[in-house]
Formats: sequence, C-alpha cells, structure tokens
Amino acid sequence: CHTSGMLTPNGKEYAQKIPREELTHLILKLLQAWKEPLSHFNQHHQELPDDSLSKAKQISNMVHELKTGVEKVTEKMQSMGIISNSLNGMASSEAAGLSIGNEADMMSDSDFIHCFRRDSNKVQSYLKILKCRIMPENSC
Amino acid sequence: GQSYPGKPKIIRCRSLEKETFSCWWRPGSNGGLPTNYTLFYSKDSEEKICECPDYQTSGPNSCYFDKNHTDSWTSYNITVMATNEIGSNSSDPQYVDVSSIVKPDAPVNLSLERKASANTMYLWAKWSPPPLPDISSNSHVYHYELRLKHEEKEEWETISAGVQTQYKVSRLQAGMKYIIQVRCMLDVGEWSEWSSEKYIQIPNGGSPPEKPTIIKCRSPEKETFTCWWKPGSDGGHPTNYTLLYSKEGEEQVYECPDYRTAGPNSCYFDKKHTSFWTIYNITVRATNEMGSNVSDPHYVDVTYIVQPDPPVNVTLELKKPINRKPYLVLTWSPPPLADVRSGWLTLEYELRLKPEEGEEWETIFVGQQTQYKMFSLNPGKKYIVQIHCKPDHHGSWSEWTSEKYIQIPTDFRVKDMVVWIVVGVLSSLICLIMSWTMVLKGYRMIAFILPPVPGPKIKGIDTHLLETGKSEELLSALGCHGFPPTSDCEELLIEYLEVEDSEDQQLVPSHDNGHPSKNAKMIPKETDSDSGRGSCDSPSLLSEKCRECRTLPPILQTPDVRDVQESKGGKRSWETQCIASEEKIILLNSESTKSSTWPAAQLPTNQPPMFAYHSMIDAQKITLSATNVNIAPVLVGNEEKRQSQYPITETVHSDMEKQREMENLHSKTDQTAVQVKQNRSNDNSPFLHPKLMDYVEVHKVRQDEPAVLLKHKESSGKTDKYTVPGTSKEYTKVSTVVDHNILVLMPDSCIQHTSVSQEPAIETSPNLQQGQAEKNMSYCLTAPSECRRETSGSEYMDPSSFIPSFK
Repeated sequence: CHTSGMLTPNGKEYAQKIPREELTHLILKLLQAWKEPLSHFNQHHQELPDDSLSKAKQISNMVHELKTGVEKVTEKMQSMGIISNSLNGMASSEAAGLSIGNEADMMSDSDFIHCFRRDSNKVQSYLKILKCRIMPENSC
Repeated sequence: GQSYPGKPKIIRCRSLEKETFSCWWRPGSNGGLPTNYTLFYSKDSEEKICECPDYQTSGPNSCYFDKNHTDSWTSYNITVMATNEIGSNSSDPQYVDVSSIVKPDAPVNLSLERKASANTMYLWAKWSPPPLPDISSNSHVYHYELRLKHEEKEEWETISAGVQTQYKVSRLQAGMKYIIQVRCMLDVGEWSEWSSEKYIQIPNGGSPPEKPTIIKCRSPEKETFTCWWKPGSDGGHPTNYTLLYSKEGEEQVYECPDYRTAGPNSCYFDKKHTSFWTIYNITVRATNEMGSNVSDPHYVDVTYIVQPDPPVNVTLELKKPINRKPYLVLTWSPPPLADVRSGWLTLEYELRLKPEEGEEWETIFVGQQTQYKMFSLNPGKKYIVQIHCKPDHHGSWSEWTSEKYIQIPTDFRVKDMVVWIVVGVLSSLICLIMSWTMVLKGYRMIAFILPPVPGPKIKGIDTHLLETGKSEELLSALGCHGFPPTSDCEELLIEYLEVEDSEDQQLVPSHDNGHPSKNAKMIPKETDSDSGRGSCDSPSLLSEKCRECRTLPPILQTPDVRDVQESKGGKRSWETQCIASEEKIILLNSESTKSSTWPAAQLPTNQPPMFAYHSMIDAQKITLSATNVNIAPVLVGNEEKRQSQYPITETVHSDMEKQREMENLHSKTDQTAVQVKQNRSNDNSPFLHPKLMDYVEVHKVRQDEPAVLLKHKESSGKTDKYTVPGTSKEYTKVSTVVDHNILVLMPDSCIQHTSVSQEPAIETSPNLQQGQAEKNMSYCLTAPSECRRETSGSEYMDPSSFIPSFK
C-alpha cells in the first residue's frame, strides 16, 4: 500500500498512548493520502458498471467530506484548547501526500481496494478512539 | 632365588595408520629382581641396531615407533631384552613388516536415522572414522563395511559402504529391530574391529502425518487472537504439531507463542504478539516418526476476524406507565472483554424473539443501544428471547445468549370480565324474552314482523262461502253463472282479449269497487297506468322478469313497477314482477336497458316512459273459466308508448311515477278497462311488443261491458310453470273485433317453447284452492312472446300491429 510508509499505531494501546494531536494529524494525513488515488481510480475506471462507478464516486465524496469534517473539528478543538496548535504543518503533509499518490498508480485494482479498506478501517478506529478520549460521555 | 630375568616375548606389533606402529611384549619372570626392558630393533636393510624411541606412548611394555622411525617399506627385526642385576635375557627376534600389521581402530559415532520416502522406510547410517592420536596426520581413506542383522536372527548381512562415512540402508523390514555395526580398513592391512552395536527399530508400517488444516482464527475483543487447526490423520504414530507464522513485510518466521491457553490444537496470540492492519501468514506443521507435513498457509488480518462473546446480564423489566399499556424493557451489557468504553470496538446488537411453541424466530436489529422496549407481546403467552452482537464494521456475529423466557402476566382486569358477564346476561335475557313473546304471541309477532301476504283481493271467492259449501252462492258472488263452467264460458275462457281502452276508462277497475283484499292499494290515488295489471300469466310480457317471479306466494301483489320504470325515464323494459310481498318490488331491470332483460327483444330506445309491466298475479286468480269475472285486470306492459296514443296510459304513467303499488287487478268486477298496453311508440322494438303484451284471458265478453280479461291458466290443477309447451295455448290471435273496442283473441297453439318459463309461484293459496281449476299462480311467461313472434303478423290482430312501426 502506498500508505504503508506511514507510521501508524497498530494496536489499541499505542493508539491510546500517542498524543491527541498526533492522532488527529495522522487521521488527516491518511485521508489526504487517499484523495488523489481515489479520483485517479475513478477517472481510469470508466468501464465499470454504473452502480459500481457511482459507488466509487460516492466513496470519494465521502472521504472528502470526512476530511473536511475532521479538519473542522480539529479547528474547533484547537480553538477550544482541547488539543494544541502544533498541527499547522499540514501543508507539508499535503506535499507528502502528493508524492504518495504517485505510487498509488501502480497498484493493481485489488490491491488498491484492499489498501483502501484497511486504511479506512484505520481511520475509523482512530476517530473512535479520539472521540472517546476527548469526549468520553457519549456512548463510550 | 634370584636369577636372571625370564625371556620376554613380543606379543604383537600393530600399526594404526601405516605411519606409526607399536609393539608390545610380555615380560617373563623377573627373577625376583627389578628388571629393565629394552627393545632393540634393526631394519632389514641396515645393520644398525636401534633402541626403541618411545617406551611411553603406547603404555607399559610397549614401544612406539613414530613417523620418523617408521618405514613402511622395510621390515624390522625387533628383540626385547630383559635385564636385571644378575643377568639379562633376550626375546626371540620378531620380524615386523609395517604394511602387514596395519589394523585401524573401529569407526566411531555410529548414528542411525529413519527416513521415509513414499511409504518405504530406509535408514541413514552415519559414523566417524577412528580417532588418531596424532591429529595432524593426514586424513586417511578408509574403507568401510556395515553389517546388520535382525535382533533375533543369527546371520549378519554385510554391506560394503565404500569410503563414505554414511550409508543409506534400504530394504528394511517393517516392524523389525536391527543391529548394525561398522568397521573400516585401510588400503593395506586388516579390517578393524567392528564398532559397537547399534540397535534400531523399524516402525510397523504407518506413514507421515497428513496435512493439517487451519480452521479459523478469531479475535474476541480485537486485542488478541487465537487460531485453531484440525489435524489430519497421524499416520499411525504420535504426531507433533508446530505453528509457524510470519508477518506481512517481514521475512522472519516465528513459532506460536502459546499452545496451551486456548486448548488443544490451537495457538493463542497475546497482546504483545498481535498487530493490527498487518497480514499474518500462518502454517502448521505435523511431524511424526515417519516424517512431517505442512498445512496450506493461512493469511489473516486481525482487524477482520473479530467475533465477540455474547452479551451478558440480560434482564427484563416490566414497566407500567400510567394511562398506557404496560411494556417490557429488555436490557443487556456488552461482553466483558470488549472494550467499548474506549471506542476501540463498537458493537451492534440484534435480538430474536419467538413464542415458546412457535417455529420461526423474529429477528430485530437493535443497533448500538443496550436496551429494547417490547410493546407487542400477547399477555399470557410465553416467549423466548436471545441476543447477539457483532462489531460495527467487519466481523462476525457472536453466539446467541442463552435463552431467556418471558412470560406476560395475563392482565385480566376485573372490569373487563364484569362487562362481558353483563353483556352476556343481558343478551340471554333478551333472547329469552323474545322467544317467550314469540311463543305467546306467536303469530301476531310474526305477523308484525313479517306481514303475511294479503289474501286475494278478488272478491270473487268468499272463503266462507266455500267452507259452507254453497257453491252456488259462491259462484254467484264471483259472478259466474254456473259452476262447473258451462260451455259458453269455456269459449270465453280461451279467448284472450286484448283491448285498448280509451282514456277515460279507468284502468284500474279494482279500486273503484273497493277491494276486498287488504291491499287496497290500488290506485286510488292516481290512475294507475298499470291498472291493467293482470296476472302474470300473460306470457308475452313477462319474459325476463317473470323469471324472477318464481316463488310467489299465493297472494301476490304486483308492485307498481312502472313507477320505477318511469322514473328512470329510460327505457324500461318490462318489469315483470311477480312479487309475493309488497316489499318485494323487483325492479328487475331498473337500470339496465331493458333490452337486457328481454332475451330476444330489443328494448325500445325511446324515452317515453314505459310502463312497467307487471305480471300480475293475482293470487286469487280464479281461473274460473266459467265465471264471469268482472275483473278488469289490466295488463300493462312495459312498453314504450307513445304518449299520444295512449293517453290513458300516460296519465297512468304519471301516476305511476309517484308510486308503485301493488295491486291486484283482479279485485274488482267492475267495469274494467282492459288496458292493453302496447305502446308501440317505438319502432325499434317491434317484436317486443308482442311479447310485452299481456294476455288476459277473457272470461266472458259481454256486450255491455268492457271485456274482462282474465288470465287463463291452462294448466289447471297444476301449479307449475307454465311450461307445458304443448298444452299452453297462447292467445295471441285476434279473432274478431267486437264493438270496436274489444278484441277477441283466440288461442294460438304455437307455443313451442316457453322461452322463459318462469317458475311461477304456483302456490295455491291454501284458502283459495278449492278445487279450482286454477290456482293462483303468478308466473310470467315469456313463451308466448316467442310464440307470438311466430305468428305472422297478419294473423295477429294485435293493436300493436296497427302501428306500422311496429313491424
């Protein structure tokens, strides 16, 4: 996977131990890393049946929206002081994301889907942990 | 005594490797004094006598000749001299040729290994060459020889093993114990001694184990996981299993950290050894005496194999809110191991429910909440409920919790019970009262509810008179001149008169005179266009309708269908109603166009109101042929009429519209206008008309009176349908016209078929039936109409025929 190079906690304890800022940063990085490959995938796979295509587009949109949402939440958290402001190096990570995107071109389709599934699961798990760390009241 | 030593003897000389050799002697007696031994040797080629270079290395009474002193190409002459204080003695000389005294030591470290290949066993024998004191000596090439034999047997099998220090022994018999030895030899000299024995047991058949299979790997809480495998057959020998794994991206292979925690044939990976979002490559190896086998690799990513434990703490609570139905709340807790609190694992729940005796489960998805409210359970029934959970993303459902039973208490409120009791009592009371009243007041009640069919309106037959048996009076009342009918009556009887009356004539004769019958609902109010309601017998008119008039009670009242008809304003076809009771106004074709009702007839399409044709049946119809009944039955057919032509009818129509009534036309003997309907206004329904016409039988025609038409029933005595084709005669032909306003009809026996034979309600009213020829019948006959058709128009002097359009 093109995101294999990223150092991400691979267990519950690690995810709970790393600082919240870092976790948030990781989430955003992951989401960013998939933006380009997803759109690339959609462009190059017009031969799929319609419902698959629309599903792929839907997923791209969802990833984009999720990223936007997380960014907003992050801003809010930063403004509320829940997490520190040390995340403002996002620009650099974006640049890194671009280079990662190139590797994604070379993956086969099944690998692509496998990697996406894994990374989306990662993002989901991290978000849930983050949520329960920051706001433990609701259903945690 | 002391003496000089005895003579030593050289016992042996030996070389291990052809580069050195040693000699040993045995001393003789030592003569009582310490003796010294010296060994002298001389080579063949030389005269010089040397002394032994080394008395130590090979032990006491030995001489060791090292490499420098050993010449393998010459022979030595060796003597040993024993010396003591007194004297010395010399052994006999020993001629030693080094080459001939070479004898290596036996090989060492013999090891045997069983190997199996393709179901045959073979043996790998391995050994080492004999060790040499001088390590630096060259490696010598030894020849080896193996020998083996069965444990119990005597004979050895010798196998030359070449110069290798290992050998594959095959052709071994299963189930035997073998002894194996090995010896060696240099290129010169002798074989060494045999090595020590080595035993080996050949297993009794069997094979290496079968390939095991990895069944599944599961993680109960997304932090550790376990893998289980299924062994194959063990090939007859105890088999050992080892699990090996490697992680994605790494080369290194590890072995299972814990074989025991999760039970037999399993491997438990604890938290330290579990990594997420990495793929593990897991294999299991099975090993036994015969060999080993490896399972197929199993790839697993722990994230996707989560299967939680079932939920716990399932509890039920009955809640009874005010003003609402009570309901049950089912609550549970997530399984203890799952860490839901940190958000690492999120569970979704599902429960299933069924009544105890039921077959099918109803599955309800609950989501992430840990409680559920149940409203729709039946009181008094017992239910079984179970819950299971699964992670909200990839993963599988847990096992179901153990069954939990729910029993709803039957909430039998006393209030309900009381209400039901009261209701039951009341209704039974009412029933009692009603039945009692019924019994007591029987008939009156019945009469009240079901009014009886009115008696005949024809004044004609006075029942009392009948009873008294005074026929003459009776008959005279009826207006008959004599009974049985006289001949002239007969004549008259069979004639049907079709008369068209003038306007003035009252169509409804009956009511003028006051009807004897109770249903004097004649048309006092208005001229009843339908006054001409004769009996239904008139075959023509009542084709369809008549059909319906089947079961008419003896006393019939013919409702004034015309009203209805006219109100419709449409074409109404005949409504022949042979209705027994008032109520039963059968609007046979009220809505539909009459054409439908008339089988063959086309309904006239005109709008002019039609008369309903009543098939009147007068229950009292007396078919006294002989009697001169001054009945003026008026048969009115539903036909379209031209208003102009039938003024009377028009008036009648108007009346009819007002109401319908039933009347017995036969009631009065009054002058009766015989009304003939036949409106032939329409062109369209030519043939209808004939049918529509009602035929009334004229009993007697008197000059001064309008004709009286009576329905004549052919079938005397039988109250059946007027279906006897042969016998029924239709009076469709006009024989003469009398007095310009009376038509005398004659019978027409063309009736071949009664198209519609209604089932006349030929019930004779018990009262009336007194030996009369006719019963009251009402029936509608359609046959005549058909018949009529057959008659050529020319024969039939039907008023309708006068109308040109009527054709």
